[in-house]
Amino acid sequence: MSPPADTRGLRRAGLGSDVWNAIALFGLTALLIIASRWISSGFGGWEQTKAILVLSSFVVVVAFGQQLVILTGGLDLSIASVMTIGGVLTFNFVGASPTALIWGVPLILLVTAAIGGLNGIGVVWLRVPPFIMTLAMGIIVYGATLGITGGTPRGQASPALSALFTASVLDVPLVIYFMLAITICGSVVQLGTGFGRRLYAVGTNPAAAYIAGLPVRWLTFLTYAISGASAGLAGILMFGYAGGATLTMGQAYQLPSIAAVVVGGTSILGGSGLYIGAVGGALLLTTFSTVISSLGIAEGWRTVIYGLVILLALLVLREELYLWAGQLVARPVPLRQPGEPAAKPDA
Amino acid sequence: MNWNTIRSGLVNTAVAAGLLAGVAGAANADDKKLKIYLSLSYSGNSWQSEAANIVKALAATPPYDKAIELKEVISGTDVQAQISAYESMISDGAAGIISFPVSPTGLNRAIRKGCDKGTLFFMYDGTVTEPCAYNVSYITAGFGENTAQALVNVLGGKGNIFLSRGVPGNSVDKRHTDGAMAIFKKYPGIKVIAEYYGMWSDQTTQSETAKALAAHPDVDGIWAQAGEDGAIKALLATGSKKLVPVVGENSNGFRLALANPAYQAAGFKGVSSGSPPATAGYAFKLMMEMLTKGRKLTTHNIEYPLPWVPAEGVKLCPGDRFENGCNTFPAGKVPDSFVTEVFEANLLPELSLVTALDGKPTPGMTIQPLPGEVTAAPDTPGINCQKCNGNGDIYALTKIKATVQP
Repeated sequence: MSPPADTRGLRRAGLGSDVWNAIALFGLTALLIIASRWISSGFGGWEQTKAILVLSSFVVVVAFGQQLVILTGGLDLSIASVMTIGGVLTFNFVGASPTALIWGVPLILLVTAAIGGLNGIGVVWLRVPPFIMTLAMGIIVYGATLGITGGTPRGQASPALSALFTASVLDVPLVIYFMLAITICGSVVQLGTGFGRRLYAVGTNPAAAYIAGLPVRWLTFLTYAISGASAGLAGILMFGYAGGATLTMGQAYQLPSIAAVVVGGTSILGGSGLYIGAVGGALLLTTFSTVISSLGIAEGWRTVIYGLVILLALLVLREELYLWAGQLVARPVPLRQPGEPAAKPDA
Repeated sequence: MNWNTIRSGLVNTAVAAGLLAGVAGAANADDKKLKIYLSLSYSGNSWQSEAANIVKALAATPPYDKAIELKEVISGTDVQAQISAYESMISDGAAGIISFPVSPTGLNRAIRKGCDKGTLFFMYDGTVTEPCAYNVSYITAGFGENTAQALVNVLGGKGNIFLSRGVPGNSVDKRHTDGAMAIFKKYPGIKVIAEYYGMWSDQTTQSETAKALAAHPDVDGIWAQAGEDGAIKALLATGSKKLVPVVGENSNGFRLALANPAYQAAGFKGVSSGSPPATAGYAFKLMMEMLTKGRKLTTHNIEYPLPWVPAEGVKLCPGDRFENGCNTFPAGKVPDSFVTEVFEANLLPELSLVTALDGKPTPGMTIQPLPGEVTAAPDTPGINCQKCNGNGDIYALTKIKATVQP
């Protein structure tokens, strides 16, 4: 990954720390998987890794849009409902037909992108605060889905979409290749295109970016549209996984989508962070939830532990830690010799 | 960011607005029509909407279509929202409220108030401990213990099992799990190696089962509440050649899987039992007979029969009704998550697939009278009575006998 040329945000935070953050997350995930062998004999192997990768694919996809939105200083709270409508529409209109899949999936992505676009219009042109705009949109979309389906989503399972999860090449489920492709494409969009690089400028200082001649409004609008489409794609995947759709299918992914992005090192205030970090965050959080599930403790405490883990991850994986670690490497602190007084009393 | 609170807040506002409109409308409507309210806690899974559709369809079936005015209110999953909904309905002069209650105890005060004003309360599936309300439910019929024994029988009395539970803290989940554990504890060879909450949702059950399978690939059987279709999908997704027995509720996908010869050959066995949405229809007809025919009920706790379909009992329906003992629909006709138990030939001959899917009456059908007798449910503390003792062994088996001894 070559450092982008003219991104103020990245230069400020230092690309290094973001990349280190992502590497640390992948490393922690691997360590946790290996260490979980002591919790359960079935853990620590390829089977568990596969299960974790498959389960994290939804968060990885939805986190792409969420990360772009957060990067510009916004927040998307409508993704649970948009994921649901993506799944419900696919269930209803695509179903088992392979030809419907070819035109249906792009069409559904367009619909969900349009919903995201409405968020963008509200935030950018109507100046509604992002969390209010997206929360309201989430409720409206939820209501519309309930209204359209009359409470029961109907349709057929799609063998082609289910094959993403059931078929494997080289003992790797297809969805994992898909996730890898999304991660690479997402990172290329973020770091290799003018669009991606400009978002850092927008997130760091929108006023300055505007004066510098960047189309700040359009860029912000686009991030919301992309977030809608990525939530829609996650909903389509979720439908493939479950073979059906319910009106609450997206709900479990609202908080993880934000947590993965923030744990992944993206500043909640915008301007810095990488998608690859959010991918690491998604993997780490899914691994934690898998390990916690197997601890055999009561549900209440399990939820408490999961909440604490997110909090702890946020505290530990803060940028300062890497800066501090960087300083340690650059200027080694002289170690105190044994017997030497801790501090000179009259210094 | 508390989505539920915000949503139920909006729902409350919508309910209030709806009720205002309803009151205004009622002034013009025929005064002789009985005001009946359908109070749902939650809409969003197949079970809830099928149950509500059955009530709506029956209310539109002659002669009820001329006799009553039915209004549906969905109040979300918190107790306070349903209390406000009840109170608005009572002040609107509801003759009857048919409801899926969110809590067995939290609604008691509001129900008491309604009973004092002459409103009849019928609860379906979920129950309340307020003695003036009528509970119509399968809960006391022993889903937990009977399915647990069925699992123990196919496992030969020993093996590692998962418990796929419902919603934490819910009294129905507790009753089912207590019943199941009463059986599992008798067998030292049965080990519960993972216990998780599937929230009665196929998707959640699927991802929770997938996590448990990652930790314990050595599982021998799964005891599941609603959401069992997700447990099967998780088993299939491991790509393993071997499947394990599953006992669960009534999704069409589960019944089709039970009857699938390829799955059977891979070791898949089980029993489909559990919560029937048709209960709502039975509760509604009982309430209507009390209101229109002066029917008297000798008990407030009425038991709905527990469905029980083992693999060899799965029979596909050629048409849109349960005829000649069929109990499952062919793949593609309904989604896998569709809960099949929407009909009951003796109690609810008015129903067909359109009633459950669309809430529309079966063409040409009129309401048929109910049998004179009802089955009284045993007193179960915290489920259908507050200060009472369970009589005898409330976990006695009714559907199956133990074929292996501990």
